[in-house]
Amino acid sequence: MAIQGMHHPSTVDEAVALLARDPEAKLMSGGATLVAMMNAHVLEPQALVSLARIDEIKGISILPDGRVRIGAFTRHCEAAACALLAGTAAVVREACAQIASATVRNMGTIGGSIASDDPGSDYPPALVVAGAVVEIASVNGRRTVSAGEFFVDWYTTALEQGEVVTAVMLPKPGVGTGLYVKHVRVAGDLATASVAICLHGDGRIRVAVGGCGPTPIADDEVNAILSDDCGDAALARAGALLQERADPLDDVRGSADYRRMLIPRLLTRAVHSVHSTQRGVV
Amino acid sequence: MSETESSTSASPVTLRVNGETVHTVAALHDTLLTVLRDRLQLTAAKRGCNQGVCGACTILVDGKTMRACLCLAQACEGAEVRTLEGLNDTQRMQLLQAAFAENGAFQCGFCTPGMLVSANALLETNPQPDEGAIRTAMSGNLCRCTGYVSIVAAVKSAAAMSKRGAES
Amino acid sequence: MNTPDHAGTTARDGSQVVGRAVPQLEAAEKLDGSALYIADLYRHGMLHAAILQSPLPHARIKGYDLTAAMALKGVHAIVTGDDLNESHRMGAFIKDEHAMAKGKVRYVGEIVAAVAADNEAIARQAVRLIQIDYEDLPAVLDPVAALAPGSPLVHDNAAQYVQVFDAGTQGNVCSRTSYRQGDVDAAWADCDLVVEREYRTQAQAHLSMEPCGALAEIDAAGRVTLWSANQSVFRVQAHVCETLGLPMTRLRCLTPRIGAGFGNKMEAHVQPLLALLAIKSGRSVKLILSREEDFETVRARHPFHIRIKTGVRRDGTLVAREIELLLDGGAFGDDSPGVLGYALLMQGGPYRIPHVHAHGRVAYTNKMRFGAFRGFGVPQVTFAAESQLDEIAAKLGMDPIALRRKNMLAGSDPWFGGQPILSNGLAECLDTVERESGWAARRVAQPVKAAADGDSRRRGLGVALSAHISGLLSTGAIVRVLEDGSVVLNTGAVDIGQGSNTVLTQMCAQALKVPMDRVALASPDTDGSPYNWGSTASRATYLTGRSVVAAAAEVEKKLKEHAGAMLECAADDLELLSGGHVAIKGVQQRSVSFADISGRAHWAFGGPIIGSSTCVFDQATFDPKRVAVLGLPFARIGVYSFSAMIVEVEVDDATGRVKVLRAWSACDVGRAINPRLAKGQIEGAFMQGMGYALSEELVWDGPRLVNPSLMDYKIPTMVELPDDLHAYLIESNEPSGPFGAKSVGEIGINTVAAAIANAVSNATGVQFTQLPLNAERVLRGMLAHEASGNKVAP
Repeated sequence: MAIQGMHHPSTVDEAVALLARDPEAKLMSGGATLVAMMNAHVLEPQALVSLARIDEIKGISILPDGRVRIGAFTRHCEAAACALLAGTAAVVREACAQIASATVRNMGTIGGSIASDDPGSDYPPALVVAGAVVEIASVNGRRTVSAGEFFVDWYTTALEQGEVVTAVMLPKPGVGTGLYVKHVRVAGDLATASVAICLHGDGRIRVAVGGCGPTPIADDEVNAILSDDCGDAALARAGALLQERADPLDDVRGSADYRRMLIPRLLTRAVHSVHSTQRGVV
Repeated sequence: MSETESSTSASPVTLRVNGETVHTVAALHDTLLTVLRDRLQLTAAKRGCNQGVCGACTILVDGKTMRACLCLAQACEGAEVRTLEGLNDTQRMQLLQAAFAENGAFQCGFCTPGMLVSANALLETNPQPDEGAIRTAMSGNLCRCTGYVSIVAAVKSAAAMSKRGAES
Repeated sequence: MNTPDHAGTTARDGSQVVGRAVPQLEAAEKLDGSALYIADLYRHGMLHAAILQSPLPHARIKGYDLTAAMALKGVHAIVTGDDLNESHRMGAFIKDEHAMAKGKVRYVGEIVAAVAADNEAIARQAVRLIQIDYEDLPAVLDPVAALAPGSPLVHDNAAQYVQVFDAGTQGNVCSRTSYRQGDVDAAWADCDLVVEREYRTQAQAHLSMEPCGALAEIDAAGRVTLWSANQSVFRVQAHVCETLGLPMTRLRCLTPRIGAGFGNKMEAHVQPLLALLAIKSGRSVKLILSREEDFETVRARHPFHIRIKTGVRRDGTLVAREIELLLDGGAFGDDSPGVLGYALLMQGGPYRIPHVHAHGRVAYTNKMRFGAFRGFGVPQVTFAAESQLDEIAAKLGMDPIALRRKNMLAGSDPWFGGQPILSNGLAECLDTVERESGWAARRVAQPVKAAADGDSRRRGLGVALSAHISGLLSTGAIVRVLEDGSVVLNTGAVDIGQGSNTVLTQMCAQALKVPMDRVALASPDTDGSPYNWGSTASRATYLTGRSVVAAAAEVEKKLKEHAGAMLECAADDLELLSGGHVAIKGVQQRSVSFADISGRAHWAFGGPIIGSSTCVFDQATFDPKRVAVLGLPFARIGVYSFSAMIVEVEVDDATGRVKVLRAWSACDVGRAINPRLAKGQIEGAFMQGMGYALSEELVWDGPRLVNPSLMDYKIPTMVELPDDLHAYLIESNEPSGPFGAKSVGEIGINTVAAAIANAVSNATGVQFTQLPLNAERVLRGMLAHEASGNKVAP
């Protein structure tokens, strides 16, 4: 049975119940992506379910087991300023601090951003590298999906009809550093290509490439190589492997070919930078 | 026989704008920008792109800068909205406006309300920003006329004036 | 050189306001948000319009079915090509355009119908209900293909269109132009070095922050009042009346505040459409284009194909130049013939080249029209010509500045074609930037720098010189003395944000020695303003300024005639005193005020004192004894301004991304009437030129524009502003200029892409022949150079 107009549920259960009633209703988080699409007449929803008044999905907190819980309705500016996103979780903060511009960061939310999964957006590779887990709710209950499995294809996530992201969980932050290297045409652009990197205190490295395929590109073999050795030959092998896994598009931000060229270069930059930063920190 | 989609039919909405409670109407798809301009005659906020990129529609919602073109009016009930018109009589804005005038930090003026709202918000949280902080805070306000040089100078100048004022 | 004066108030006695950095007259309203642009105008009961755009690049319109759309509640009028008369066409040079598509659509996005309805939502819904029966035609999408024999014709019989000059319009040739000086074919033999290369430049969007829009009102007698975002109320009137077949008495054109133009608003956009909707519906109608519609339907900077060949002697003396241009004109002529003719005039740069053959064509294609955009073809040719000069300098082992100094126009050198140059500040421009940039010390090859991230960056410096003309076509000014002795100035010049209102007021105030607040400025109005061709071609300060000064002089003469009678002396014995008085020379206490004089004029002599003047530049562009000319669009233009620019860039070795670190831009403006406004033009032109050089490009995928949105088309932000951007005002005092002024609107953009390209070349050892120098292009160029020693990127 269709619902009409704007709805402001105050709990997750109310929100998913509304979605179940009306499959055509659209979720609105920060609104940045959704309203832009409405303004462009790409979407013309008759019903909207706003997540703005659901306290459960707001705020960043530490869970008893040390994991960091980022509520889905956390604005980018809040995450970018959050001291809890430190050490091995810093990559997430570094990435969202580079989204668009300061005012857009006041509006957009992590839940809204990952649900729209725009190519070239900044959270996906950072969340993969940080080992994030996405918490999802529906009328059928809650489930979790790892970041690596959440981003499925171009503009497509693991979200099913009637589901809403409620939180993003990060493993307990450990000693380490994270960086996000983003190549753009001008400040605030979506990434032409990007590399998210996390360097753990024990020397383990995890990397993921953004903007070069339907999903972030991460590879256990690449992580193993770099965790073992960051010399030129190792970097070259790792870069080549990531290039192989890439499946970029031609678009106005760059050709597919150029994106492939960028991968090993940005990887090298990311690895060198994270080591410099680590030395600076220590 | 009405063929209009129900999302286009307006329903009553109550907003807090520039310190006052206003009762107006908004359809589901009406942005705050549309309501401010077309219903409330507050035309300082401009529509430059309607996609949230140009910054000409920048206003304050609950004290933070936001794009009026990306806020749905019906989702803004209960929020404190402030436009340039509602900041004109504040001391900080007047200092900024004087600095903009002295530095020629505008030409066509279309981006100016958004620039002023952003600059004002910056100085509120960071009264003595360095050049990097100014550029980062205002990277989302596009200008095609000035080349930004005079705008950066004006924001620095306003910060300096306010520091001198605070010290005296 | 005058130093800018930070005037919070105008001079008490009204003198010396020329040369002061007074804030814009409109400062208060622009700063408090009360300035009213076209989108801010509302009328009781006004209708809202929406447009239907063509989905096809080339098709015959077989029929319209408006039934469903008209049946929608709230729809008041729909207009299509059927509402237009076939013979009513507009066009700045070639009358090839209707108010909207008629008979055929010629580009994806072309406006094909428009609806006026109670609100925007209904109008858009009605647009979606319009059915059009199209018959697909083969499309031609690039200028080379367009000129190949047998290609589809964008205009079925272009030769039949009215042409305002000998354009040679036929087939898909919109216009053709050729200038020949000396004997180029023989001259190559005299050269020790000849270099020839091809260059390509891209389409750039104006991206004024304000999209195009209009509001048309109609009265009970059927007279239309049309407000619009425009650069000329007179051009709006002309276009609308031509394309709707209206006598000009039926249309009054007015102007609100304008949110910039850069050329986008110089010719018609939706004004004819809105006037038509007002007439058909009998109601006032408003339309503001969305940003996407503005990108897709209006106009952009011409893509150029450039083939350029230059011959020099071993000592660097320029001997011969051949340049051939092919412009993509898009579907309609618009200002294209002017851009071609002007680019060919300016392509030689501010240098002596005795033998020149400059020729080219504009091709019609099935794309959006290309038209006037700041620089008007000069940024394109300057990129090619200044790059070629650097190539020559490298091959001769000469410093790039030394090569330019050797050939620079100086002293009494005329411009190419023979027009005398009465003020030439080029040397001072170049001296300034060379000194301020520390060029000599820095031009030693820059080492590859290691940055914190372990990656290398390369730095380079580049130089470019250019010129531009202030002037073109007609302008006027009327100065009227009000009863209280204050003054109204009416020029019809549209202030598009550049500050012409302020500058013209400064000139009038100083000419009459009154404070600025005693000069009111009438808003441009086709009913009451004298003709002003438009705010374009860098003409307002120079040409309209000349009229203002002359009109003020006529007022002074008439004031003195009255004063002479009142003071019982000869008019020649009188002088103006500051603050609005006329006194006997040397006997200041024997004086009368403007108010006294004006009272006398009003009450005893039939009315106010009025001075008026019209002006058009009177020097021919070409001396027919020097240059053989074919297809010259402008017989007389204006005076030359000059500029020199040096930029320092840093190239990221890993990604190819170019960052401009520092820039020095010196422009000879004759005299800076308002130094702050003048510097603002140079600074703004730099950033717009930098976007053109590095990141901006309209991209087509086949016939469809791929990036008509600010998400996808990126202009520089505050973050891209160089660390240092220095603007220098050089004053060569133009004898024919008002207070010595030329103009400054465009001169600052012409050199930017050229200087940046030369700097990138200095940094990387690679010459680039295409714009924009985006990261991908630069990286590929560097890698090709590394791999094969290839010094020229394709």
